[in-house]
Amino acid sequence: MDTALKYAVIDPATGKIDRRIFSDQAIYDDEMEKIFGRAWLMIGHESLVPSPDDYFHTYMGEDPVILTRDGQGRLHALLNMCRHRGNRVVRCDDGNAKRFMCSYHGWTYRNDGTLEHVPGKTEAYYDELDMASLGLIEARVETYAGIIFATWAKDAPSLEAYLGDARWYLDTVFNRLDGGMQAMGPLKWLEPANWKTMVDNCSDNYHVPTSHISSAAVQSRFLGRPRLSHEDQFASPNKHVFVNGHALTFRDADDNAPRYVHGVSDKIMQMFKEYHEATMPEVERRLGTLRARRVQLGNHSIFPNGILGFRLALPRGPLRTEFWHFVLLDRDAPEELKRAIRIGSQANNGAAGMFEQDDVDNWRQVTDASTSRMARGLPQDLSMGVGHAGLHADYPGVVSERYISENNQRLFYMRWEQFMNAGSWGDIPLEPMKARFEGSATMRG
Amino acid sequence: MTEQQALWLELMPFYIREAWLLDERRFKEWVDLFTDDVLYFMPRRKNVPRREAHRELTELGDLAIFEEDKRYLEMRVARLDTGMAWAEDPPSRTRHMIGNLEAAFLENGEVEARTAFLVYRSHLETDHQLLSGCREDTLRKVDGGWKVAKRTIVLDANVLLDKNLSVFL
Repeated sequence: MDTALKYAVIDPATGKIDRRIFSDQAIYDDEMEKIFGRAWLMIGHESLVPSPDDYFHTYMGEDPVILTRDGQGRLHALLNMCRHRGNRVVRCDDGNAKRFMCSYHGWTYRNDGTLEHVPGKTEAYYDELDMASLGLIEARVETYAGIIFATWAKDAPSLEAYLGDARWYLDTVFNRLDGGMQAMGPLKWLEPANWKTMVDNCSDNYHVPTSHISSAAVQSRFLGRPRLSHEDQFASPNKHVFVNGHALTFRDADDNAPRYVHGVSDKIMQMFKEYHEATMPEVERRLGTLRARRVQLGNHSIFPNGILGFRLALPRGPLRTEFWHFVLLDRDAPEELKRAIRIGSQANNGAAGMFEQDDVDNWRQVTDASTSRMARGLPQDLSMGVGHAGLHADYPGVVSERYISENNQRLFYMRWEQFMNAGSWGDIPLEPMKARFEGSATMRG
Repeated sequence: MTEQQALWLELMPFYIREAWLLDERRFKEWVDLFTDDVLYFMPRRKNVPRREAHRELTELGDLAIFEEDKRYLEMRVARLDTGMAWAEDPPSRTRHMIGNLEAAFLENGEVEARTAFLVYRSHLETDHQLLSGCREDTLRKVDGGWKVAKRTIVLDANVLLDKNLSVFL
């Protein structure tokens, strides 16, 4: 490893990780600058602000941000901070408003960020206030298939380049249908864990038959869900793939099986299968035959803090993370199916979710092990499958040979190093896009 | 004694008994307090302007914290018996304080009852949380005893401050 670099926290040959990155306040503060100040961050979904003048309150890292759709229908991501003293100008979670008034002194902004009104502009400020320079601070916004991303970095590449060939896989869920998706949520709660552990867990399919065995077992008994054991996982036709920090799992099989939907009964699964068949011509037209019939996105994270689709791990200090759970549904799917998928999702995920509630103490204790004297000196071991991943003839990105592997996690922490060691976006490598995006689907949907 | 007072005296022991069943971890008996067609519902609670208070609770059909039928409730209870439901193994220590009961008969003979609760949860070594909220129940007489046919639980929280919500309310 290059010892001149400030951060050398993972040894790629052994998968040993320095635990201090999960607890050190100075490293965390640096992450806010180097990662959350630079990366394209998922902040919302177009369906959360469907109409002119709608807004949705969100975060970029720890910074509060108002996602607005202005009167002309354009999207804005505005730092929720009055330029006078710094008070928030929005205190609600969502709504519809043309203007936002600061409750401290009454400075009032339009929903495109323009400072429109200052009490005493003449009488108190002698008409000398440079109002044009005092609009709400605006981030760059781009969208992918309805998901809204924003970045503070003026030198960031396009969102398309940032997602790169990861989109080739993401399309199989998020860009599948002409009608697009709708987001519901979020459910918000605070977890006593470092944000990175929650993100790297997205590629940790190894934990599933142990952490979630109780829920899987009762769902097999009550709902007829397929068995979940280590052996079932070792035999499954899944792979891991990594592109530009985005860590994905995909199913690689030509049986045209529908994506597995968690938390629903076998009866609903049959309904989903019929829906899958009925929509297949549309999916083939949009994504091409290979992706429509063979490739199925599974668990995944979008760098830095997007979790399993459109869910967010919002850092709140090294030892705390605010989790935002949303569910994304095919907008034009039959209502009965949408209802069942939503209920299945919320029964498994979220603060009360049968699967998700069993993760938290594991993640918390992994984080806590980075704080005590003896434990913090001992590295995490992410050595599984070292040397068993590489380029693949049919699939873009770095592909693992096997499903159960820690390759994506190692690469996630190496991507973390790239961001943390970079002086600017120019130092952060991006994989050139090589995938063939067959079909009609685009970044826009 | 008015009909209203008699109902209050009949229901308060029902809620006290339910609280003891939960705190003594007698969950199979607890789940029997619900009708087979129960809806166990906990909406999300948003920050909205006072004049838009009608939007504060998310509606049935939106993403909820719970929207479960009897089968899901039974699944959650059965999960605890596997010995590997890690959020609750070792189990939480809970204390359900139920009060502020108001109840009235509906025209169909069912009862609408609302109560306030404070639930204390202690878990593992030092984790603890205080859950505050209310329940709005629809109660039905089944085989001579009251059962909950619909329960809406409203928590007094926006961002839940708890690592998870693995106890029953």
